[in-house]
Amino acid sequence: MIEWQPWVITMATTIAWVVIITGLLQIGLYIVQLVYAAISLANRPPVSRSSLLWQRYSDRAPPIAVLAPAFNEVVTIVESVNSLLSLQYPQMEVVVINDGSTDETLERLIDQFALQPVDRYYDLTVRHAPIRGLYASPRIPNLLVIDKENGGKSDALNAGINVARSPLFCSIDADSILESDALLRAVRPFIEKPDEVIAVGGTIRLANGSDIHAGRVTRVRLPRNFLALVQIVEYLRAFLMARLALSRMQALTVISGAFGLFRRRLVLEVGGYSHGTVGEDMELVIKLHRHMREQEKPYRIEFIPEPVCWTEAPGDLTILGRQRARWQRGSLETFVKHKDMLFNPRYGRIGFLGFGQILVVDVLGPVIEVAGYILVPLLWSVGLLSIEYLLAYLAITFTFGIFVSVATLILEEVELRRFPKPTDLIVLTVVAIVENFGYRQLSNFWRLRGLWQFLRKQQGWGQMTRRGFQRA
Amino acid sequence: MGLLDLWDISLALAALSLAIMTALVVGRFITERRRRNILEQRKLLMPLLLGGKKRTALTELAVPKWLLAALSVELVQLVRGDERAQIAAAATDAGAAAELQRQARRGSARKRASAVEALAYFHDDKSSETLALALSDKSPDVRLAAAMALAESGRAPAAERLMETLGLGVSENSMLIVSLFQKIAAYRPAEIRDLILLPTVPNSVKAAAIDALSASQDYGLVKTINELALRTDPSSEDLPRFLRALGAFSHPGGAPAVRHCLSAPTWWVRAAAAEAAGRIGMSDTAFKLGEMLSDPDWWVRFRAGEALVRLGSEGKTILSRISKGKAEPARSAARLTLAEQGIPA
Repeated sequence: MIEWQPWVITMATTIAWVVIITGLLQIGLYIVQLVYAAISLANRPPVSRSSLLWQRYSDRAPPIAVLAPAFNEVVTIVESVNSLLSLQYPQMEVVVINDGSTDETLERLIDQFALQPVDRYYDLTVRHAPIRGLYASPRIPNLLVIDKENGGKSDALNAGINVARSPLFCSIDADSILESDALLRAVRPFIEKPDEVIAVGGTIRLANGSDIHAGRVTRVRLPRNFLALVQIVEYLRAFLMARLALSRMQALTVISGAFGLFRRRLVLEVGGYSHGTVGEDMELVIKLHRHMREQEKPYRIEFIPEPVCWTEAPGDLTILGRQRARWQRGSLETFVKHKDMLFNPRYGRIGFLGFGQILVVDVLGPVIEVAGYILVPLLWSVGLLSIEYLLAYLAITFTFGIFVSVATLILEEVELRRFPKPTDLIVLTVVAIVENFGYRQLSNFWRLRGLWQFLRKQQGWGQMTRRGFQRA
Repeated sequence: MGLLDLWDISLALAALSLAIMTALVVGRFITERRRRNILEQRKLLMPLLLGGKKRTALTELAVPKWLLAALSVELVQLVRGDERAQIAAAATDAGAAAELQRQARRGSARKRASAVEALAYFHDDKSSETLALALSDKSPDVRLAAAMALAESGRAPAAERLMETLGLGVSENSMLIVSLFQKIAAYRPAEIRDLILLPTVPNSVKAAAIDALSASQDYGLVKTINELALRTDPSSEDLPRFLRALGAFSHPGGAPAVRHCLSAPTWWVRAAAAEAAGRIGMSDTAFKLGEMLSDPDWWVRFRAGEALVRLGSEGKTILSRISKGKAEPARSAARLTLAEQGIPA
């Protein structure tokens, strides 16, 4: 056995403590979030059937513009637009923004919906690439297509915000599938607290493996692909636990780009979506918080737990890795851009809870966890750390991880029960355990790659291949 | 607590959560089997409820009370008129209303609110009593649901009492207040009208009352709303609702307030005033509306353009003249407004 110098042992112990304390902080946050999420789910308003929602809210529901940016979506665009047009909502305009597609997305839209060029007086408050033309159809008065030069998703959404005239807009991904009553469900907080609610996010679920017919998810089923299964558990954790809890604490920092409802006037006031960031959805929410806090106005940013939007998860490692690195980069960009809000009393719970969560989970989390994977077992193996440190580290990394995932599944089963078969629960429980051994480490590696890209100031989304949903 | 305790706690928590999950999975298998049984019971119960059968036939089935209540509510919501009354009577006789009354008093706020909403379809004395009690529920959602249920079926207490009980304009500012007032106004319009006149009523509640009555064609309200709008703080968020109501009446009696608000310091009031001016057809504001095409706020320019089109030839002439000028943003506003309406410049 090597006789180590005391300072070497002190250093090894300090490293282990930093790793363990950061892990404990994360676990502590997750447990608090679980409690808040459970309270929030238990106290959520009655989930009514669509016909009742219509009966109750249709008279009072404010007009909504659904903004669907599309870039090279020729394969899916017609079905996506048809699906949007069939949403149940009393006053809705579907605004498709063709973001300089190089395929025949625009031509397909013009042919399919008999679109004609139109003039429209629109706002120029937020910045975006030039609009080349507007198209509408006499047949479908609530469809408008904006053809613009390419500028990215946030740029396309900005064009949509300028052109839209509704007090609320809903940003979605063109290939997302919305539940037919998604808007009616999501608009509820705007109706019930009209003076305070400025934005609402909804739960995104993964449609991989489910049956899809005519742009609707007709039967929820689990995918066979392991990566897609792991992502189902991750999405449940992110939406059913973290976002729901943060919304309950009034410290929600992200509304997913796949589905979010915003008060248009306020988004214009904060300058719309920012350019030059891949985390534009998160950044918009932070800008709204900053704006309202600085104006000292009461406001609420809400999250609704009912699944309102279905999306396709990447099924292979390369694409998933790129996506996760991009998400990490987006979080870091937003965190650094608004770092003055961190623990700043002026921003109240956003500065402490919202930014505290980003710091512990997104900024420090992956770095320290990966450092732990390498250093703690290594330091134990060379006799610098006792077995207690190794077991504490393993507890934090694996068993607490299993606890958090399974607890989220319990919430899902008790409160929502969207997985139809009992065997689905068994599969998801197994996945919640297995993901801790291999996938979790890989995910942290992707996040470190995102950190590296952020440090090198790398821009862009990387290539994402759209396969379109697998139809029933 | 030592580091080893961390290991023990985490193992215990993971084991506990897995045990709960196992119990839930087993529970789900059992529920699945019961679900089939319940589906069978629904199939038997449905024709009896639809046929308006009496207690004996329904109770002989020995279905759980919650199922009877849930199915009754589903069916009642599907039909209207006599058929609804017939199903509600049969369901009440079989104990569905009593079950809903029980649910309205116990359980989570979500369950109480659902039960209270459902009781709107049951008009017996005990249901009315339960709904009246629910107006004092600790949950604001349940209180509002009870008020809506009572109003829906013509049993609402006086509007002033509701204001107090629900904290309207103070703690309760939902847009559903408009729906509530509309339901009450269908059979007691004077009560809602009085809310607009009472000086103690908050402006937001007055705005809801005005919204509820604005489709009533009661032109007697125009003078009141006009005076109210003239008295209201020009930066108030409620003022546009008063102006929109004046626009909806399209009555010249609303012109003084609208004219006054065209020069308000806040854009949301100017935009609402411009819209109302167009709807009322205030041709004397055409010049002012033309000037408003240079407003710094897009909404004001847009509404002014719309209003000028509504004013007819006089407004269109002004739009055409401005569209040929050089001053931006008025020129673009005028040109595109005309183009959008298909009117040659």
